[in-house]
Parts: sequence; C-alpha cells; structure tokens
Amino acid sequence: MSLPRKEASVLKGHEGAVLAARFNNDGNYCLSCGKDRTIRLWNPHRGIHVKTYKAHGREVRDVHVTTDNSKLCSCGGDRQIFYWDVATGRVIRKFRGHDGEVNAVKFSEYASVVVSAGYDQSLRAWDCRSHSTEPIQIIDSFSDSVMSVLLTKTEIIGGSVDGTVRTFDIRIGREIYDDLGQPVNCISMSNDGNCILASCLDSKLRLLDRSTGELLQEYKGHTCKSYKLDCCLTNTDAHVTGGSEDGFIYFWDLVDASLVSSFRAHTSVVTSVSYHPKDDCMITASVDGTIRVWKT
Amino acid sequence: MESDEEDYVFFGTPIEREEEISSRKKKAVAEASGHLRTLPSWKQEVRDEEGRRRFHGAFTGGFSAGYYNTVGSKEGWAPQSFTSSRKNRAEAKKQSILNFLDEDEKEELEGRFLGTSSQFDTFGFTSAEIARKQAEKEQQQRPSIIPGPAPDEIVLPATESVGVKLLLKMGWRHGRSIKDSIANTLHDARREARRAFLAFSSDDPKVQLTDSEPIKGDRENVFDQPANDVQSSKSTPVYVLNPKQDLYGLGFDPYKNAPEFREKKRSRVSGERGPGYNRKDSLFGFKSGKIGPGFGIGALEELDAEDEDVYATGYEFEETYLEEDEESSNLSLENKKKLDKKHEGALPGFRVASNSDYRMDRFEAPVIPKDFLPHHTFPGPLEIDCKHYDVPPQEVPPPEDGTLKLLIEGVASLVARSGKKFEDLYREKNKSNPLFNFLSGGIGHDYYARKLWEACQKRSDQTGEHLDGKVPASVQRLTAESRGKILGEKPLEKSFQGPSSSVSSKDIHRQLNLSDTFTKSASFSDLPEVEKPFKDDPAKQERFEQFLKQKYEGGLRSISSSLASNMSEAARARERLDFEAAAEAMEKGNWGKGSKPSAPSLLDFSTAGVLQFTSGGPELKKDPQTEDFMAKKMYPKREEFQWRPSPLLCKRFDLIDPYMGKPPPAPRIRSKMDSFIFTSDFVKASKTDEAATGKKILSPLQQSENQNSTKDSAEHVTEVEVEVENVERPVDLYKAIFSDDSDEEVEDSNFNRVDNQEKKAEIANTALSRLIAGDFLESLGKELGLEVPPDKPYPAQKSQNSALEKETANANARSNSPKVENIKETSLNQGLPHLQDIAQEVGSSKSETIHGNMRESSSSKTKGTSMDDNSKLNGKKDEEDRKSKTPTTRRRDNSDSSRHHRHWSRDSGSDSSSDDRDRYSSRSKRKHKSSREKSKESRKHSSNHKHRRRESRSRSSHYGMEKSRSDTKREKKRKD
Repeated sequence: MSLPRKEASVLKGHEGAVLAARFNNDGNYCLSCGKDRTIRLWNPHRGIHVKTYKAHGREVRDVHVTTDNSKLCSCGGDRQIFYWDVATGRVIRKFRGHDGEVNAVKFSEYASVVVSAGYDQSLRAWDCRSHSTEPIQIIDSFSDSVMSVLLTKTEIIGGSVDGTVRTFDIRIGREIYDDLGQPVNCISMSNDGNCILASCLDSKLRLLDRSTGELLQEYKGHTCKSYKLDCCLTNTDAHVTGGSEDGFIYFWDLVDASLVSSFRAHTSVVTSVSYHPKDDCMITASVDGTIRVWKT
Repeated sequence: MESDEEDYVFFGTPIEREEEISSRKKKAVAEASGHLRTLPSWKQEVRDEEGRRRFHGAFTGGFSAGYYNTVGSKEGWAPQSFTSSRKNRAEAKKQSILNFLDEDEKEELEGRFLGTSSQFDTFGFTSAEIARKQAEKEQQQRPSIIPGPAPDEIVLPATESVGVKLLLKMGWRHGRSIKDSIANTLHDARREARRAFLAFSSDDPKVQLTDSEPIKGDRENVFDQPANDVQSSKSTPVYVLNPKQDLYGLGFDPYKNAPEFREKKRSRVSGERGPGYNRKDSLFGFKSGKIGPGFGIGALEELDAEDEDVYATGYEFEETYLEEDEESSNLSLENKKKLDKKHEGALPGFRVASNSDYRMDRFEAPVIPKDFLPHHTFPGPLEIDCKHYDVPPQEVPPPEDGTLKLLIEGVASLVARSGKKFEDLYREKNKSNPLFNFLSGGIGHDYYARKLWEACQKRSDQTGEHLDGKVPASVQRLTAESRGKILGEKPLEKSFQGPSSSVSSKDIHRQLNLSDTFTKSASFSDLPEVEKPFKDDPAKQERFEQFLKQKYEGGLRSISSSLASNMSEAARARERLDFEAAAEAMEKGNWGKGSKPSAPSLLDFSTAGVLQFTSGGPELKKDPQTEDFMAKKMYPKREEFQWRPSPLLCKRFDLIDPYMGKPPPAPRIRSKMDSFIFTSDFVKASKTDEAATGKKILSPLQQSENQNSTKDSAEHVTEVEVEVENVERPVDLYKAIFSDDSDEEVEDSNFNRVDNQEKKAEIANTALSRLIAGDFLESLGKELGLEVPPDKPYPAQKSQNSALEKETANANARSNSPKVENIKETSLNQGLPHLQDIAQEVGSSKSETIHGNMRESSSSKTKGTSMDDNSKLNGKKDEEDRKSKTPTTRRRDNSDSSRHHRHWSRDSGSDSSSDDRDRYSSRSKRKHKSSREKSKESRKHSSNHKHRRRESRSRSSHYGMEKSRSDTKREKKRKD
C-alpha cells in the first residue's frame, strides 16, 4: 500500500489562508474555506474550481456537506452557521446564537441536525428540518473553546481546548469525559469507528480507544503549538496523517507510531488534511492559500 | 389582565344594531350613485364605505388630500416606487430636468440649443453629430454584441460636407487618396517592381539577405516623410488646426517672444497624447508600426492593405499599457531631467549649465578604528563545553612534580567550576610563569586535559538531572507544578487509584508504563538487578525481557513469543502468567519508589486532576522522570456524567429519548457569575427562588430522586466523585414506543407525567386566574351599580385568597393524603352540593347580567329591573347559604363566592385573619411562580378557560380539583 506522496494538482483561488479542506462523501469533490470569507467547491481530481459561495462576513473556519451533496453548512468568525443550498449557492438559513467564533460544524447522518462547536465553550445543535432558528440543544459543559466536533449515529463528540474529548451519547444519555491533559485541536474518527485521533497542542497526536478511553498510541514529530491543525486517518486506517506548522505532512504507522513518511507539502502551515474515503488520495490546505491534491 | 374577556362567559350571539349601520350604508350608496354625479369635480368629497368624510388634518388637506384623496392624478400618474433588493439593487437615479418636462416643453427647450443648420455645415460636424445621436438611439433600442458606443468610423454623417462636395466635383472619389497623379503612377511602378523582386527572392533566399539593407533604408525613408502627407485613402477626419486648449485670454500668446517653447510644448503634448489618442480616434486606421515582418517597403510606397500583418493581433494593448505606465510612474523631476537630456541643445540659444546648484549631500562612512576586530567574542560560557572532549583524553600518569600535580588538579577543578574564561585568564596572566606551562601545551598538559575532563564529568553528573529537568521546563510555560517546585512546595501525593475501578486502574497503569517506554525507548536489557525476577534462569529472563519488550512495544498486538517455540502450549501459557505477574510486581515496585499511595482520604485529589501544593513539609526528592510518568499516568482519564439530550435532538437523531418520562433536571447554577445575573433580574431571581422552594414541595418520592440529582450535580461541580454513579436506565420503553410522535405532544406528555411540576404550574395558574377574576368581577360589580368596597381592595382580597387557599388545602387533603382525608371529608361532602348549587346560581345570574348589560347599552329601555333582580336574588341566596352552613363550609363558601363578587364577603376577613401563616404561604406561592412555567402557564390558562366555558355549571368541582392540588402543596410545606 502506498501513500499519496505525489502532487497531482494545486487548487489555487483562495486569497489568503485556507482554513479547511474537506472531501465530500464520495470523494469526487472537495470543499475549502478560508480567510477570504469564501467557500469554494472544487473537483480536485481534475483541478477545477466549480463554485464559490460567498456570504460570510468573516473568515470561514469549517465547512461540511451532506451525504447527498445537496446542502452545505459552514461556520466562521461571524458567529453564525450558514446553511447553504449547493446547487444555487444561496443561503437557506442562518443560525445565530453562538457568543463567539464558531470553530467547527458538522451535519448529522441524515442532515437533520447541524452541530456546531464554538469559542463560547459550547456545542450547539441546530435543526434543519423545522424553521426554528433556535438551537435544539446547547451543550455547555466544556470549560474552554470547543475546537472540533464529530457526529456518529448516536453520539456527539467534541474536542476542546480544556483538554477534554467529550462524547455525548444520545442513546443512553451520558456524557463520557476523556481528559487528555493537553488542549485538543482537532478530533477525527477512525473509519471503523473504534478510535478517536486527537491532535493536541503539545505537538502530539493521540489515539484513544473509544470504548475504554485508553490511550492507545501517541504520534510525534510534527509541530503543532499554536495553530488549529487537522489530522486524520487514511482510508484503510493503516496510517495516521497530519499537517505541521512548518509546511510538512507526516504519515505515521497506526500501530507502532513510527514515522513512515514526511515531506514538505506547502510553504506555510498546513491547516487541514482530508483523506479520500476510498482511494489513496489526499488534499491538504495551507496558510499559503493553496490546496494541494496528493496521489500515489 | 389580557384575558379579562376570556374569563367571561357569553351565551348566544350579541344583537347587532342593524338599523344604524344599514341606514348609514344606504346613505353612502345613495350619495355615491346619484348625488355625486351632479356636483362638479372640485366640489365632490371622498367618503369611505360608510359615508363618513375622511379628515386628513387641518394642515394636510382638510377633508380632501391629494387628488380626491388618492395619490393618483387626473392623467393617472403613478408615483415611482422605489424597490431595491439585495439581488436587484436599485441604481442611484440621476434626475435631470428632462425627466420632469412634458413633450412640448422639451421641444421648447430643444429650441434653445445652438447648432449649425445643414446648409452651412461646412465641416459636417452637425450632421455627424446627428448621425451619432441616431446611432446611439438605435443602439439603445437594439443592443449589439459589441458593448460601448459605436466608433466614429462606422457612423457616417448622412450629408456630405461642402469640402467633400467640392472634392467630388474636382474628380475625387470615395476611397481614393488625395495625391497628385504623378506620385501615384510612380508608386504603381515601384510596386510592380517590388512584387517582381519578391517573387524572385523567394526562390533564392541568399539574395534576399544581401538586399535587405537597402530595403531597410527605404523603410527609414518612409518614416522620414512628412507626417502631414495624407496617407489614408479613406475619408479623412478633419481636425481644427489649433483648438484652444489653454486658459489664457483670447489672443494672448505666452510664447510670443520665445517661439522655441511653443514648439517644445506642442511636441510634449502630442507625445503625451500620442498613442492613446490615435488609436481611439482611428479604430480602423492602419497603424504604421505593424508591417508584416521580413519585408521592407520602398521609398515612395505607402502602407497598403497587403502590407498589413494579417496574423498580428488587432490591438496592441501591451504597448499602450507600457507607455502609460511609464508616464504615470515617472516622477515629475525625473521626467524633466530626462527631457533635458533628450533635448540637449534642442533649444537654440540655451546651453546646459556646466554646474548646477542642485547637489546631493553625501556623507562619508564612519571611520573604523584601526584596532577594531570584526568579531564579537562572547564572555566564555560558564560550563566548559565538553564537546571537544567527546573522546575522553586517555589516562595519563601525573607529572613527577608533586606541586605541579596539585596545581594542575586545582586549576582543572576551578576551571571546570567557573568556566573556560578562567583558563584563558590564567594563561594570559602567567604567560611568563613556567609553572603554568601546562595550560599552553607544556609539561603536564595532557594530565591537565584529563583532569579537566574528569572534573567536567563530575560536575555534569551533579547538575545533570537538574539541567535536564529544568531547562526545558523553564522554556515551557510555568505550570502550577513547576511553580510549586520553585517555591519549594510539595505536591499532594497522588494515588494511583483509578477513577472507576481497580481493574481499569490496572489497565491504565500498564498503559502508562507502556507509553512511557514509547517515549523513552528504554531498553530492557539494562534493567536493574532488582528487576530481574528470573536471574537464576538466564533463558527465562531473556524470554521475560522479550515479553516485556513486546508487550510495551506492541501495545496493540499480541505476538506469541518466538523464543520459546520449543515449549509446550501449556508451559508457555504458565510462563506467560508468570511474566504478567512479575511485570505487575515490577510496576508496583516502581510506583512504590516514586510515591507511596497516601491515606485514602487524600485519594480524591488525583482523580480530580487537581494538584494542590502545601508549603513546607518534608520535601520529597523527585526525579523528573517520575514526574513525567505521573503526568502520563493521570491522562487520559475517563469520567462519566449524566447528560440529558433534548427530546427534539433525540427525535432528529432517530433515537428514543433516554429520559423520556423523567422529570426535567433541576436548573443548576453554573457559576457565581450566573447566579449574579439571576439576582439582578427580578423574574429570574424569582425563578431560582422557586427552584429552591420547588424542591421542598415535591412529593417524597420525587424528593428523594431530586436529592439524588442535586447530590449528583454537587458532585459534578466539585468534581470529587470517585465512582460513577448509577443512574437507572430508562424503563419507560412502553411509553416511548407508544407515545405520540409530534414534538409538542412529546413535550406535553412529558409534563403531564411530571405530576408535581404540573401541579405547581396549576396552582400558580389558579392563583393568577383568581386574581384576574377578582378584578374583573369588581369592575363588573361597579358597572352593575353594586356595592364595591373601595378602600382596602387588596388586603381584603389577599386575605380572601389565603382563606381560600386554606380551604382548598383542607379540601384537598382528601385526594392525596389519606390521613387528612378522614378529618375533612365529611365537611367537604356536606359542603359540596351547596357549592355546586351556588355555582349554578352565580353562573346563571352572571349570564343574565351580561345580557342585561348589552341590552342596556344598545337600547336603554330595560335598565334597572334586571339589575335589581340580580342583586336581590344574589343577596337572598347568600343569606340562605350562610344560615345553613357549618363554620368551615361557610367560610369556604364565602371565599368561593367572594371570588365572583367580592363585595359580598367583606365579613370573611375576620375569618381569614386567623391564619396568617397561610396567607403568607399563598402569597409566597404566587411569587414563586417560575418564569419557566410562565410560558406554559399561558397555554394552560387558556385551556382552563376553555374548560370553564365548557362546564361552567360544574365549575365548583373544577375548582375543587385545583384546590386539592394546591392543598397537597401546602401539606408538603407543613411537613417541611
């Protein structure tokens, strides 16, 4: 199995830092958002810019698309969550209520709920089905800015600067609190759903077992001290990958945490990495304003 | 207050005053049809559909404003409406006078503009202008593909100028150039010759090469030709020779005495405008610079269509851009300079000055002193960098001289302690002293080097752990731990008891040790002697080490040991168990060394993740490794809390609400700040108040549950809970499945099940409705002319309420607490039929009064009698009731009736005064109505009304129910 190390194309268009880049569900398209207040839709395999979504008043920090590719949600410095129609590029709804910047946003499985993570130490769930603009629920048990959010079928998982990864299980009504002791930047789930990879601000990625809360592994070598850097697992869960503040991308072996590969991908901080759901393809976004597509 | 009317019961439909309305309408219709037609327009009035004149205000038109009270006009003018949306922005419209003029006015205005009539249009300006306007108009009507106004070349004047006419008469034709025929013929001849030459040269390229020079020369000649020669064969644009472009007065010539400047200025102006202007003016004019490459043109030839480079791009944007850029970016000073240089000597009579006043001031570079060395030497580092001693100098026998040996050793230790610069210092000072020769490579230098190295080693051993631990720590942020360390505080001892159970803690132990080995990559071969449990059997020990290594390294995998492949399966399993036990024992031993678990009372601190430092006390020496290890040991740690997803969230996730049917959690005050905010707000303050009291009111079962939850929350807040508390799984599965699906219903059912909350809410509701009813009835009584106690309305009311409250309490005990039931039931049962009667009576009488009231207002004939009847009737009933009642029921009756007609029960104050406590409680209850309930309350309220309307006859029973609820509440209070 080979790692995507060859640069297939460079997606240029963002003016200023790109803060997030995400594949869509089937991996044919990708979305990016950045400091230029736009969200862009790309075809990374052909290197084509498809569409630009403009409405945000400040930088866009995160974007997510539904599984049927019909709706987008995005969030950013303007404290709002925008709910977009992909085809028309219009904002269907805006959810206001966060008292600070919104760091991350995700759709639930059937795109019925948007869950956002904010600087105001809260996770908020917003209803896409009804016309209510009030949050369905506010989870404010965090004690610092919530940086990242994940949704499963039954759970809401948030990672926060207070060093915790909290899993809110809706089915049994429990909050499971995993304290890592280090500010958590980004969390991502393994494809089998058994582990959570948390990027911590002490320049380590930590792999947690979800069922027991054990620390399974730590991945070191990269620099992550002041930026929100993404991390993810490869599509086969064989490797762990993440960006670094020096513009490198790192690949670690999942099991023995050995550094498999690292190479310079960008001239500046690699803010976001996203791995293709099926193929060996990866996109990385950077503060240098480019998104690069990597293939084997 | 807003439900004053809702509280009232209406029977039947009110009678409309038909005759009045219809008469007015008729009048209006009549006026509109017949009357108005006869009047002249200025006398007509606008009326609404009921025939009333509309008054617009004394200064805004009186009875008629605008055009017959419309915004229209006789011509049907409609005002322009301003619409602007985000997608379709309204443009800022520029209004000119023409927007407001009629056609005839416009024509009139048009007449004022000056223009040459076509007869005298010598240069064709006017006709050109007209044509251009026409073209513009057409373009506006049908927009073409090419945006912008049509170029002048396309738009030709309809009439020809006099000049053209003259030329035509002289034999000139359109499309010909104006030239003398001799030149033309000559040109033709040349042209033929050139063609022939080209045809020839294409066969022989060498010839072309040789001949290229003269051709070039020819081209130069072409350019040297005077520019005023008309080159274009198309119709020529006409220029006025000297348009006045300056601001001088007419006839004033600033260059009168200096004609050179005139020339210069003109050239500059034309140079500035040159490229841009030309291109713009003659869009289709041939540009002289664009000849096909490779060919020259003869001397007297002119550029023709054939000579154009067909493949060149039509426009030379690049060129113009560059030129413009140059112009704009150049500083004026530079520009002038350049011009001066270019036109040096161009001005006759002027000479470039040999020396100008302008001089750049240049400063000399500072003089560097001779003894300056361009190297900065830092003062020698305190520690001798032992890097150049990577390979330790070999052991050297000390020199024979005892004093020298001592000296060397002393110096070495000194240098090791205080730094390299001492060595330098010594060397410098004692250059002449032969004793110190060893410093500069003399006798004993080797020994010195060795001694120095040894001293360094010793030193670094001493300070080693210090430096290792501290340097990175100081670089990093100052944590509580490091601060404590600096201040000499001793961290409270951490225990290794896992947060949940001993099993998981063990897991964590192994885990942490594991991660430690990841970071340290410590090899287990150099395990201390103590930790070699199988040292008597080296093979086994080896296997054990292998086992450890695998265990730590792999972490995730379980590889059977390859070393012991010759062993049987059972033996291997046994050995493995042994190894496990040994490893565990080793770990325990480690921790025992690191820090002993202290008294169990202190255990909680470690799990809470709080490190507290107590100053003083015996300081435990801790190496950073264990610190690190401890930190690792603490994280990650897992805790579990209760969390309540909102029902809607569960629905959206297609999950069953785990808390369905459970009471909503008590509102927890998150921080001092929050409670502060609460108290600042009156409503919210009352809410918290309510929350506090509400807990007391809850039923015992509920209470215990609540206590649990409060305990839970307390534990959450302080984070001292060790064990994960057990929370029962939701058992209302049946309900969850078969309950209604819609959200509100779910919510409602939730609340229905939560009986106590519900009761509280209803009590609040009844209190409020009672108040409202009291007010309303008072006003009703006033209207009916009945006696209303004017002086002390509120105290009286309150006392009544409290009396009522007590009554209801008593009555109520029946339904909830069987003990009280026994006592009160009899009286209640006695009282009940009476009450119902009264309620009926009151209800009917009230409805009567309502009817009477309406009749009274519509036609004031039936006044008086009905009212009198009512009062008489009521009064009689009241007296009767009073007589026939036991004290308790009477009181109850009083209070009950007082709700409806307060003035009846003035005397009830004496009764109620006996229980002050109750009054207080009722008041406080009212106050404690939470804001949370308010929203529900309004809904409830309306439903109450509905209810009442439906069964106004059995209202007393309804109240009875409510009373019973309030009673339980009070009972609880008493118990507390």
